[in-house]
Amino acid sequence: MSQLANYIAQKRQQKPILSMTHVVYGYPTVQESLSWMTRLLEEGVDFIEVQFPFSDPVADGPSIVEACHVALEQDLDVDSFLNDMGKLSRDFPDSRIVLMSYLNPMYRYGLQKLAKRAAEINILGLILPDLPIEASANYIAACKENQVDPIWLVTPVTPKARLEMLASQASGFLYCVARSGVTGHSSHEAKSKQTAMDEYLAHIKAHASAPMGVGFGLRERSHIEALLGKADIAILGSALLDAYNQGGQEAGIKLIKDLFQN
Amino acid sequence: MQSNNGFYGEFGGSYIPEILYASQQQILHAFEEIKTDPEFIAELKETWQNYSGRPTPLTFCKNLTEHFGGAQIYLKREDLNQSGAHKMNNVIGQALLVKRMGKKRVIAETGAGQHGVATALIAARLGLECTIYMGAKDVKRQYPNVFWMKQLGATVVPVAEGSQTLRDALDEALRDWSSSHEDSHYLIGTTCGCAPFPEMVAFFQSVIGEEVKEQSKAQFGQYPDRLYACVGGGSNACGLFLPFLEEENVEMIGVEAGGKGLELGQHSIRLSNGLGEKGIAQGFATMFLQDKSGQLQDTHSIAAGLDYVGVSPIIAHLAQIGRIQMTYAMDDEVIDACSLLLKKEGIIPALESSHALAGAFKDAANLPKESRIVINLSGRGDKDIFNVAKAMNDQTFPEFLEDYLADYKEHLNNDEEA
Repeated sequence: MSQLANYIAQKRQQKPILSMTHVVYGYPTVQESLSWMTRLLEEGVDFIEVQFPFSDPVADGPSIVEACHVALEQDLDVDSFLNDMGKLSRDFPDSRIVLMSYLNPMYRYGLQKLAKRAAEINILGLILPDLPIEASANYIAACKENQVDPIWLVTPVTPKARLEMLASQASGFLYCVARSGVTGHSSHEAKSKQTAMDEYLAHIKAHASAPMGVGFGLRERSHIEALLGKADIAILGSALLDAYNQGGQEAGIKLIKDLFQN
Repeated sequence: MQSNNGFYGEFGGSYIPEILYASQQQILHAFEEIKTDPEFIAELKETWQNYSGRPTPLTFCKNLTEHFGGAQIYLKREDLNQSGAHKMNNVIGQALLVKRMGKKRVIAETGAGQHGVATALIAARLGLECTIYMGAKDVKRQYPNVFWMKQLGATVVPVAEGSQTLRDALDEALRDWSSSHEDSHYLIGTTCGCAPFPEMVAFFQSVIGEEVKEQSKAQFGQYPDRLYACVGGGSNACGLFLPFLEEENVEMIGVEAGGKGLELGQHSIRLSNGLGEKGIAQGFATMFLQDKSGQLQDTHSIAAGLDYVGVSPIIAHLAQIGRIQMTYAMDDEVIDACSLLLKKEGIIPALESSHALAGAFKDAANLPKESRIVINLSGRGDKDIFNVAKAMNDQTFPEFLEDYLADYKEHLNNDEEA
């Protein structure tokens, strides 16, 4: 079993569902984003998913897009980012950091080098939403060699055979997108169809040996409760960013407690 | 040009979020079907002819030829298409495909508004719902096109994210498609994006080069020696060049936008002078203008239609292997070329197409008298009236605008009172 899956399995013995909270590195500044990540880890979230910003984040909705563009008003480089993540990972050995970015900044940095550096700083999972599995042979090999998990996404409209292929390939965890569209609230969401969640997750579970994380559109306690027994991780992205934008760290922490505490 | 599983050398491919996989596959299969379906091709040709006015002429420019005293200069008149640009060739093809796939809505990105207007035109004709994404800056710069899109019944959404130009419009169109893919088709305007879009758009645009082949044989008994086209996304260049790929004696020259200078942010040169670097974004691999961390950068051109951060993977590949020579023209050279065509031949070129003119005019005098060059006049220049007047420092234009505005406001006031 992969190190990441192992961590999830152990944690799940104590909790019905794990929390993964998303943060944009460099938003609104590098220091403030690191302070926010530190606070989240102090509060005991199981994972932070840290997004290294890209100028053209096509899978994200307005909240995260805006945060990425604000962050990029500073000169951000991947090396300093990984150094910062390494420090957090050492300071909080009970939680895990998962790295998310669009392909181009990581492609420029080098995917081989990324997998190696990630392993060195104990980042066990990498999410690159615009790198499809078909174009990933070298990346997968680099991840394997360094015992880091490439996290694949599946969606409610992923064709059945492909979903089963992705589920069977998954290691670390499988990122199950809860609905069509981009992250968070957006002007596009009215156009997307509703997903029959239970059926969708059950189908994935039947084919995935890896743990399952669910994200996109989770904002209320009822959304999290609906996942109990069906998924291992609930991923909180835009809703947390919206709370942070409205009331800073305190509002963000309050949201997490409202959603996850018994 | 046939791709190798979506790739052209090391460029192209399909790098899209998983949510778009099924829709991308649907387009891939639909395109494979129609490419060789005689019924589809017949309908396409009929619509090109009777709606857009194809074939467009190949016009010999006697005065320009004498002016330079070198190569004989011909123009491929894509400016005479319905909507005034080659964009129509592609939107007709894709819109017929949309009908075949049974989708009811099209989404498009637009820079200058030419592709937006072309999409809105065909959507109106075929009864499709239409949403156009356009950078907020471009909406301001190109309002006349926005006006027409709205009159045609399209919804125009200004994109206020990022640089507020074409690439942000493209990002937002992809976001819409991520939500709406079941009912909507992303009608991309150029030979960019994920497979099969570059190949498909090039397929529909290749009618340009196919016609030039026939027309050149008919008019002077052989193929041209050199072809010139401007390169923004690359669709008019692909359209003219690709049918001639196997003709080794035909040289091809792509002209990018040099803008105001070679510093980052002042131009849109991706394929010359080592200014662009390979990247993977907006669904495909190509040469992008980006910084060392892989962030896409701002671009500039006097021609909004060339102001794009990436370039067709087909053109990037053909430039890399040396099949196409790449050059660029600066904003002021473009205005001079535009002006020369106006005065010598009585044709009003788009500023985008004036880049191709500028590139060709630099070479014309030095080419043998018996050689023949074809320049793709991809669009007409009526849309550029404000920008050209400003660039030419026309003194009376502001007065016209002020008077017009005063009269317009008075008209609106009278209307309200009545």
